[in-house]
Amino acid sequence: MKAILPQARLKARSPELGLRATSFAFILVMVVIPMAVILQDGFKEGAAEFWRQVTLPVAAHAIILTLWTSALMTVINAVMGLLTAFVLVRYAFPGKAILNAIVDLPLAIPTLVTGVMLVILYGPQQALGLFLNQELGFQVIFAPPGIVLALLFITFPFVVRTIQPVLLDLDQQQEHAAATLGARRWTIFRRIIFPALALPTFSGSLLSFARAVGEFGAVVIVAGNIPFKSQTAAVYVLGAVESENRLAASAISIILIAISLAVILFTNYLLGRRRGPV
Amino acid sequence: MNKRFAALALIALSLALAACGQSQPDDSDSTGGTSADEVNLVLAAYTTPREAFAEIIPLFQASWLAETGQTVTFEESYQGSGAQSRAVVEGFEADIVALSLEADVIRIQEAGLLTHDWKAVGADGIMSTSIVAFAVRAGNPLGIADWDDLAAEGVEVLTPNPATSGGAMWNVLALYGAALRGHVDGVPEGDPQAAFEFLKAVLGNVLVMDDSARDSITNYEQGIGAVAITYENEVLVGQQAGTDYELVIPTSTILIQNPVAVVDAYVDEHGTREAAEAFVEFLFTPAAQEVFSRFGLRSIDPQVAAATADQYPPVADLFTIDFFGGWPQARENIFGESGVFNRAIQEVQGQ
Amino acid sequence: MTTQRIVLPRKGYRGWGPRLLILAVFLYVGVLVLAPITALVNDALQKGLPAFQTALNTPQFWQSFALSLEIALGVVAIQAILGSITAWVIVRHSFPGKSIFNAVIDIPFAISPVVVGYMLLLAFGRNGFLNPLLAVFDFQVAFALPGIFLATLFVSLPFMIREMIPVIQNLDRAQELAASTLGAGRWTTFWRVIFPGLRTALLYGVALTMARAMGEFGAVLVIGGGVQGRTATTTMYIFHALEERQYVEAYTAAIVLGIGSVLIVSLADLIRHRTQH
Repeated sequence: MKAILPQARLKARSPELGLRATSFAFILVMVVIPMAVILQDGFKEGAAEFWRQVTLPVAAHAIILTLWTSALMTVINAVMGLLTAFVLVRYAFPGKAILNAIVDLPLAIPTLVTGVMLVILYGPQQALGLFLNQELGFQVIFAPPGIVLALLFITFPFVVRTIQPVLLDLDQQQEHAAATLGARRWTIFRRIIFPALALPTFSGSLLSFARAVGEFGAVVIVAGNIPFKSQTAAVYVLGAVESENRLAASAISIILIAISLAVILFTNYLLGRRRGPV
Repeated sequence: MNKRFAALALIALSLALAACGQSQPDDSDSTGGTSADEVNLVLAAYTTPREAFAEIIPLFQASWLAETGQTVTFEESYQGSGAQSRAVVEGFEADIVALSLEADVIRIQEAGLLTHDWKAVGADGIMSTSIVAFAVRAGNPLGIADWDDLAAEGVEVLTPNPATSGGAMWNVLALYGAALRGHVDGVPEGDPQAAFEFLKAVLGNVLVMDDSARDSITNYEQGIGAVAITYENEVLVGQQAGTDYELVIPTSTILIQNPVAVVDAYVDEHGTREAAEAFVEFLFTPAAQEVFSRFGLRSIDPQVAAATADQYPPVADLFTIDFFGGWPQARENIFGESGVFNRAIQEVQGQ
Repeated sequence: MTTQRIVLPRKGYRGWGPRLLILAVFLYVGVLVLAPITALVNDALQKGLPAFQTALNTPQFWQSFALSLEIALGVVAIQAILGSITAWVIVRHSFPGKSIFNAVIDIPFAISPVVVGYMLLLAFGRNGFLNPLLAVFDFQVAFALPGIFLATLFVSLPFMIREMIPVIQNLDRAQELAASTLGAGRWTTFWRVIFPGLRTALLYGVALTMARAMGEFGAVLVIGGGVQGRTATTTMYIFHALEERQYVEAYTAAIVLGIGSVLIVSLADLIRHRTQH
């Protein structure tokens, strides 16, 4: 669509400077300024102090816990999301429409409610929680598995919904050709289907990772929040905010923002390579 | 398709209408204020006295109306003492603060929002007291009797997070103090290192660290943990609400003193000083104290205390924050960045 | 080459493979998504239907629901206009730094709500960066409605924009050009030619934004103060109800909030499907 009459293009541009200015102002006020404020606050006492706050054992542990639970969740989400998308697109079975609708549910449920639900279901007072705890020695709530579970719930739609449209648009000719040439189903999947889905799976997973790193509402209910054991970075920041530890709050917040930003930029870059400039 | 669409739209619409219909009209857009016959007070409190205030406030409203003909409305906020104090300093325009510990009021004072001598009001500015005690399951299956039982192998303990909860700080101080004073089996008196090890042992048994004392005890009620270190008052209120647990008072514990004060900067801004000061004074009257004592708080009024003595057994060794040299010292030495608590937590989890 | 059984990957065929996969997915979704929801509904009804109905009629709940709704609608209004404009600028304009601008928009999506609340506190709190300006107008942001409004606006920023971008990208520019050659002014072109194409996406963006806005918790907790009647949104109400041991009330409110959000998104989904097929 680049072959537009030059006159029309020029005409389109000048009045729209107002639009551009508006959108710039909007994003500036809403995103850039608050970020600048927090950056300034975190480095107020110098880069050395900033780094010290980040490498404090309790903070470092919180960050690491956040990262590995999010990463584990992302891997599980990638696999199950891909599977779910595949099943929804390629197969017909009773209850398919309901399944499709359920996939979107986590998006509509407030994170606080997610945390509450998980405690109700897996908490130690319930039969299920008691069984897991005593029989299997496996603690779900108030331990990292609970965190992973909460994150899985919240980010479930992301991978599925990123893969679905791509899968729907996939030209099945190649698969048919491969089948006629004698390829088995698994080979077809591995060699033809999956490579086409690799990118959306990856970008959907990265999106869910970025989302998970900052998650608070569900985690604070479900995690236990014990420093050095089950306290994530977001919860640590809350503690720092509420105990007047501004430097810690700002420093860790900046780290969280940096991680999310890095992941988002990378994802956009990947998608950009595929689709061309937005 | 059309019908489904219409049905969904109808449901959404009715939900929205219900919301508008049922909600109370929000009178005050301003952050508290006064007119000739109406005054609005904002109360910022910690989580524990919630139920007590629910009764005291109507009493005060009636008494103030009779006395001055002015209607006083209240807006209340309850959250962890530290969080609440922080909020007030950051701009939460509370007329009155009722917090868990003196340090949280001092913070407001240091921010320049509180300029009068609040300790000169009532009983040294302390509206109620309680003690640190334990909540155990009905029948006390683990036979918890004193502090040393909390360090036993496999005993799951609940205590809130000192970063946000005043109650948590009281808990740690009680534990550490009892150990230092020689009232914990196996810990010699006056031995900081041994007391430190004991603190670590108990912290190692902690299952969840909630934001506030109330969150901690409600979690306990959900079946989490074997014993909760908490305010005696929280247990009593919980029992009143029908929860089936028992109170165990250790031989040595700290006296929790809860301050209350008018916040000068905000009452002057809102023009609510008269009503606010009257409310604070009201809290020290026998009428209000009687309510506090019914909700599990030990009254500071000698008469009420005497009348309710059987409800509140004396403690063998009761000490106060003065044992630690006052709040500023305690905060520095125990809860500072390299304080006893943070070192203990670090070493425990490092194992 | 040995003769292999030729299998065409067409829809609906049965074999143990697909059956197993379908079962696995159902099991996963059942355990992950359905089980907790069922537990919630079950606990809400634990004291029976009358208790559930009483909980539904609590004035504080509806007060907080009205506040959440009010804020969400305000946020939606602003996002609909400014978000659409931003989406337009991203698609139709080119300028240096556009890719960074594009990435910046996604930031609110991934930032922890606690950090959002804290940033606003730093900017607008009593000791805040912008406080001198606010003091001049005697305008309170932190611990008041404007604060939670701003926080909600921030966290819902990407939703509208991300919904609008693909639709604007797919607009048929030929029609716009045709309109302008026929003498239509910019506004007419927009309203008659462009807007109809954007309507559905706008609606879906509105729905997503609403759902996100009503469910915000972390940021509101930090910047709001949770004062009943003034800054207590539905999520704060649920949080406080849990603290006050009012479990049925809390779970009931959670269900209403959940159903409300699901309804809004389903409605928009329905509209989108109707117009697309």
